Amino acid sequence: MKTTTNFKAAIILSVMASIMVACSSNKKPIATDTATEVAGSEVDFKIEKSGAQLWGEVCNRCHIAPSPADYNDTDWETISLHMRVRANLTEEEITKIESFLKSAN
Amino acid sequence: MTLIILGLGSSALAQTYNTFEPSKTQFMLRGYGHTGFEYLDTGGEQESTFLGATFAPIFLYKHSDKLMFEAELEFELEGNELKTGLEYADVMYVLNKHMTVRAGKFLLPFGTFMERLHPAWINRLPSRPLGFGHDGIAPASDIGVELRGAFDLGGPKLNYAVYVTNGPRIKDGSEEPEEAGMLDFGYYEDVNLAKALGGRIGLLPLSDSSMEWGISAYMTNSTGAEDSDYKDVGAFLWALDLSYVKSITPLQGVVDIKAQYNSSNVDTATYYEIEDGISEPYSFDNQSSSFYTQLSYRPIMSGSDFMKQLEFVGRYSDFNAPEGAEWEEKSTQYAFGLNYWLSWRSVVKFSYQTTKMEGGHDSDGTTRTNGLFVHWAIGF
Ligand code: HEC
Repeated sequence: MKTTTNFKAAIILSVMASIMVACSSNKKPIATDTATEVAGSEVDFKIEKSGAQLWGEVCNRCHIAPSPADYNDTDWETISLHMRVRANLTEEEITKIESFLKSAN
Repeated sequence: MTLIILGLGSSALAQTYNTFEPSKTQFMLRGYGHTGFEYLDTGGEQESTFLGATFAPIFLYKHSDKLMFEAELEFELEGNELKTGLEYADVMYVLNKHMTVRAGKFLLPFGTFMERLHPAWINRLPSRPLGFGHDGIAPASDIGVELRGAFDLGGPKLNYAVYVTNGPRIKDGSEEPEEAGMLDFGYYEDVNLAKALGGRIGLLPLSDSSMEWGISAYMTNSTGAEDSDYKDVGAFLWALDLSYVKSITPLQGVVDIKAQYNSSNVDTATYYEIEDGISEPYSFDNQSSSFYTQLSYRPIMSGSDFMKQLEFVGRYSDFNAPEGAEWEEKSTQYAFGLNYWLSWRSVVKFSYQTTKMEGGHDSDGTTRTNGLFVHWAIGF
């Protein structure tokens, strides 16, 4: 019983570890590679989402998204750091969303 | 004279203004509360009650762009007693773009329900799915350290969390014989040298972040006290979760799907049953599982202002506790809800819930419980 438990644990943990390693070694985003090769093509405009768009996509995944006017700049700074950690958001997402919320309140 | 008054006035104004300069550190008091009414019919026996208001203040302290503290207290009336709880209290520091460290008592990222969806103003139904909460099989919070972070994969996103905590204690049956073999995740004091190790990986495959799949694991080599017979009883748990939230134009609204499967495997051990004063040993295959899936829909693109505030919810959940255990149980539950959103953080929920339970604490047969609930939750 004990051995099967540890065995399953080992499998799941090693899958997790390999995904993490795969991702952290993938430092160069795919977009930069292609962008240098096909400079000037439409690839350049890839995934440059605005803070407003990201706010619309990201902030309602768990709860209904608050409006920029709900809080002042100081509050948004605290909330952004809180949500960055709790919701495990990327630095880029939260930086853009925070500037949008602060510019539109 | 007028000039002097004006001069004084403006310097006074300037001073007042100065006090509104944002300070480098920030403290915020937030939180939520909820109250309601419920009517339950358990196998023909009825009860109804207004529910005591629950009040949960949340303290957020931001020291810098990297360092922050969060804590939540919980005040609730249980019968006539005021029950207090420390839901979480942890400090966090952003180490780099992809990694944040947290330490203290925190909500565990085992699946998503407990960490992200359980607060009353977020949960679309008044109740938790089967398998979560009191006597549930999914760990909710613990004391320890955690590393977490996220990566942008050029469209898709990936996030991770790994943690080490004190871990659960096994109920050996000496206090509550009918619960022998259950893991007690609410026992925060460490009973042994072994720690629990867990983690979750979340993948958002679509560039619009509408979908997230998560896989979680949690294990410990020991759940009993260092000098007890249960020292070598280990446990391994895993979970799968799904979230899909998307605004769909032909449907004129937002569709929100959530699901989580939990599996718990505890090493087999011998427990004792006292019958007629004689202690009888028994054992069982200690495996439990639970599952829930929830669909909700908000017609936010509807022409009517009233319709825009409405939300329709349906949830299925089930729970299987081990055969042969004193707490053997097979339950299934359907819950339906109609919500009215007064603001993004305040909702009045009406719901009907029907649960079929075979076995369980109190009886050996099948019990059906039907319930009607009205809840009002507000976050502030
Ligand atoms: C992965 C789920 C998730 C996502 C995504 C998310 N939140 Fe939250 N949010 C939560 C949870 C959970 C809480 C409640 C925290 C608590 O009570 O412990 C919360 C609370 C809040 C609060 C109340 C104040 C606070 O900090 O507790 C605000 C404001 C908020 N979120 C804004 C946002 C914004 C803005 C975004 C988009 C950047 C966002 N949230 C994205 C889960 C999420």
